Amino acid sequence: MNGLPQPGLAALVLLPLAGCGLCWVLRAPKRILAVTWLASLLSALAAAPAVWACLHGRALQEAQGWLALDALSAFHLAVMYGVFILSSAYAQIYFDGGISSGELSLAQVRQFASLWLGSLAALTLTLVSNNLGMMWVGMEATTLLTAFLIIVRRSPDALEAMWKYLLICSVGIAFAFIGTLLVAASAKGLVQDPGQLLHWSRLMAAASGLNPKLLKAGFLFVLVGYGTKAGLAPMHSWLPDAHSQAPAPVSAVFSGCMLNAGLYCILRYGALCHALPQLADWSAGLLRLLGLLSISVAAVFILFQNDGKRLLAYSSVEHLGIIALGMGLGTPGIFAALFHTLNHALGKSVGFFCMGRLGQIYGTNDLRRLAGAARREPVWGNGLLLSLLAILGAAPFAVFLSEFLVLKAAVEAHRAVVVAVFLAGTCIIFISASRRVIAAAWGEPAAPARLPGPRAGLAATLLVALPLALLLCLGVWMPGPFRGALERCAAVLNGGR
Amino acid sequence: MSAWSELILILVILTNLLLVGGNRLTGLIRFAAVQGLLAGLLPLLVHSHAITARLIFLAALAVALKGVAFPLLLGRALREADIRREVEPFVGSELSTFLGISLLAFSFWLSEWLGIAQAGWLRLMLPVGFFTMMTGLFLIISRHKALTQVLGYLVMENGIFLLGVALVGEVPFIVELGVLLDAFVAVFVMGIAIHHINREFNHMDVHLMARLKE
Amino acid sequence: METGLIFPSAGGIAGAALAAPLLSGVINRTKAVFAGRQGQPLLQAYHDIIKLLGKGAVYSRTTTWVFRAGPIIQFSCAALALALLPMGFQPALLAFPGDFICLAGLLALMRFFLMTAALDTGSSFEGMGASREAAFSALAEPVFLLSLAVLARLTGALSLSGMASRLALHPAEGSGPVLVLTTLALFVVLLAENARVPVDDPNTHLELTMIHEVMALDHGGPDLAFIQYAAQLKLWIMGILVVNALGLGGRGGWACAGGMAALAVLIGIVESTMARLRLLRVPQLMIGAGALSLLALLLTLVRP
Repeated sequence: MNGLPQPGLAALVLLPLAGCGLCWVLRAPKRILAVTWLASLLSALAAAPAVWACLHGRALQEAQGWLALDALSAFHLAVMYGVFILSSAYAQIYFDGGISSGELSLAQVRQFASLWLGSLAALTLTLVSNNLGMMWVGMEATTLLTAFLIIVRRSPDALEAMWKYLLICSVGIAFAFIGTLLVAASAKGLVQDPGQLLHWSRLMAAASGLNPKLLKAGFLFVLVGYGTKAGLAPMHSWLPDAHSQAPAPVSAVFSGCMLNAGLYCILRYGALCHALPQLADWSAGLLRLLGLLSISVAAVFILFQNDGKRLLAYSSVEHLGIIALGMGLGTPGIFAALFHTLNHALGKSVGFFCMGRLGQIYGTNDLRRLAGAARREPVWGNGLLLSLLAILGAAPFAVFLSEFLVLKAAVEAHRAVVVAVFLAGTCIIFISASRRVIAAAWGEPAAPARLPGPRAGLAATLLVALPLALLLCLGVWMPGPFRGALERCAAVLNGGR
Repeated sequence: MSAWSELILILVILTNLLLVGGNRLTGLIRFAAVQGLLAGLLPLLVHSHAITARLIFLAALAVALKGVAFPLLLGRALREADIRREVEPFVGSELSTFLGISLLAFSFWLSEWLGIAQAGWLRLMLPVGFFTMMTGLFLIISRHKALTQVLGYLVMENGIFLLGVALVGEVPFIVELGVLLDAFVAVFVMGIAIHHINREFNHMDVHLMARLKE
Repeated sequence: METGLIFPSAGGIAGAALAAPLLSGVINRTKAVFAGRQGQPLLQAYHDIIKLLGKGAVYSRTTTWVFRAGPIIQFSCAALALALLPMGFQPALLAFPGDFICLAGLLALMRFFLMTAALDTGSSFEGMGASREAAFSALAEPVFLLSLAVLARLTGALSLSGMASRLALHPAEGSGPVLVLTTLALFVVLLAENARVPVDDPNTHLELTMIHEVMALDHGGPDLAFIQYAAQLKLWIMGILVVNALGLGGRGGWACAGGMAALAVLIGIVESTMARLRLLRVPQLMIGAGALSLLALLLTLVRP
């Protein structure tokens, strides 16, 4: 690995943008979608050496400290690229019908592709920037770019969802900016070079001298602000609408990448708080609170949820809640939460893939009308069942293991309330959601399918089977190097490197 | 120049109160324009002892964007939409003004609690920043039309700009630039979104867009 | 003591008593100039009062002693309030800590008897005017007291005379914006309480649009003379408060008189350029003025 040329971190941001430009030149819609897939793949390959190195303990810095990569961001990058590659491949299957029938024009496909790759660039920028201000710029860019991804098909519902998403997330990002300002104010005078005031690495190094009150206020604003982007309750109200109205590949990217990016930003600030002893418990307590609140809210809404995509959306709220909860439970909890990030991203993506395709075939997202899907569409129907069971935490999938580890961390920390609420929430969700999904997959088929469509090919089978197989594998056996990498990520948040 | 800064900050407070209690959309857009103009001039006055080319550029950009570009964009969206020009608030004008004053008192208290010991007029800058931001948030929550929500977002960004000047001063130039560009792009994007909404729905009332529930 | 036109306390009261009706003359002349007319003579108000004093009065059988006592009480309240006002260099005849609350109380008493005398007639027009007056003054009163409280806090003096002299001679550092806000609020209260546009049009002849004039509809002769003169005294009193807030009152007799004249011209300009507000919008105006004075109060509290 050392002999290969290492493209800089800036290149990782620029590659997708180059792909964007290419999209505007090509004429065939299917080729444009293929370009998006290739661009994601190439960016992932370009990032692979750096990611590999960082997961093994190195930390990179470039551009006078503006860009950096450490174990935590490398891990999130890996997850993001994985989701993007899978979703880009799926997008070709998903939009195939629309392109062939002429429903999607060339301009729409071009718009989709450029926004898609733009979002990839923006998310990469968020993850590789060391400067908290630039991280914020990346998150803002993702909000603005992904808003128009929701309305690929213009319908009143989609517009409503887009407006809600745009407004709520913009307000959230504004709050996050105030938090950034407050944190910068708390560090005034500590960092010599004023241009490096917001560099996370410098702030971590000088953490003991930060003004506690300002840092506290800043963290609060950041939690509310980035928590809106991460879909934590009570700021999650945009989530169900946006996920249910957006095309399935976009929903997969939302759940698998963007929510995680929001939480990642919170974690960077949480690490700063963790470095100050008087704030460490307080910030962890807030994360736990929001996590439990998210799980509870998701449980309440899933009880009556019949729409498949909204079900998946509320499940995302639940899982982000679990991750936040884990982050507030000390080192074992952080380990579990990071593991859970990967599992959730994989499982949720497959879930959205299957749900999206089934929704296209059946013409509705209502799970009651999807009865018998596994028999009519073996790949997608069984995929839906398996992925949903995986997400709900059925053993032996990896999600069960990560949730169990979070629970274990809570028990070890003697937090009875956390354990009780967590168990109650996840049980309620498991029961109500699995009831619907099993009926959808194995129930008696209702009306015949309205849109026969081509039978799922090899690509579709691989798309569904591979991530599920990985989840199954991780659920039984965690490879040593993987465990080491996760431990190094957790150590970053605790101040080590 | 502290007397001038103080005067401008008090004028900003007045524009906030006018925005909160205002009745007509065109009036609101004008108040927001005035507020943007005043906010853009502040960095020049705050650092009047060390005026650099960067500072002048920042102030000029702020005034151009906030005082001219945004009101033009919003005015164009308003004309295109051809809607009733009344504000139609959830919370009435008198109660809004009263809530506005309470928010002002709260921002003063918040700044005291944060305890950044500042001298002279800077004591006023932080509360005004928080107040402007809260005014923007209030406008977003308590008004019906999508256009007023965008206006509220604009006012919120003005407040964040003021907070930036108050909290970190001239240091991260990139920060101020970031706020301005972010506000510009966001408002532009929202304008496009409103255009789509208006085409599809024939109105801009966000509370009539309530088909997605649960 | 300064030479020149100084108003010693009792002389000040006499001067005010004589000069009050002149204010309405100046206002009317300003409005006439804006309208391109010749307008009434400046001393018209005096002629009106003297004419009314010479007339007889007719009392309806539905009225009681309240109707007859009303104008007298209004006049005495206004005259007593004059004794609390500082004019020129001299402090007021009756100056004590908290006298501004007493002033507000006297004006309120005056307003109360105006309203009850109107209600006493049993006519629906007067009742309508009384209810509007009650509603608007309920909003104007807190603003009035708040503005005076701001002045008290700013100057550290608890009596009107102390406030006036300190505002004129030792204005606090950087208190400009606060004073502007307070003066603006006091000016709006003045317009509201004295039946000026934009709250009430004094020249309207439609009873349904009146607030103050309609309450005096059934009074005649000397009663009407007392009511009109009391209203003019009230305008003078509130005008003096505004002029004192600007710091002109305490600087001497000429400054005070000049300030009052300028104020009258300003009222005339406002009346000529603005239209009367819809009745539903008047509370908004009052709350706006309240917001200004609250803002001024907050600014004085924040100051070191």
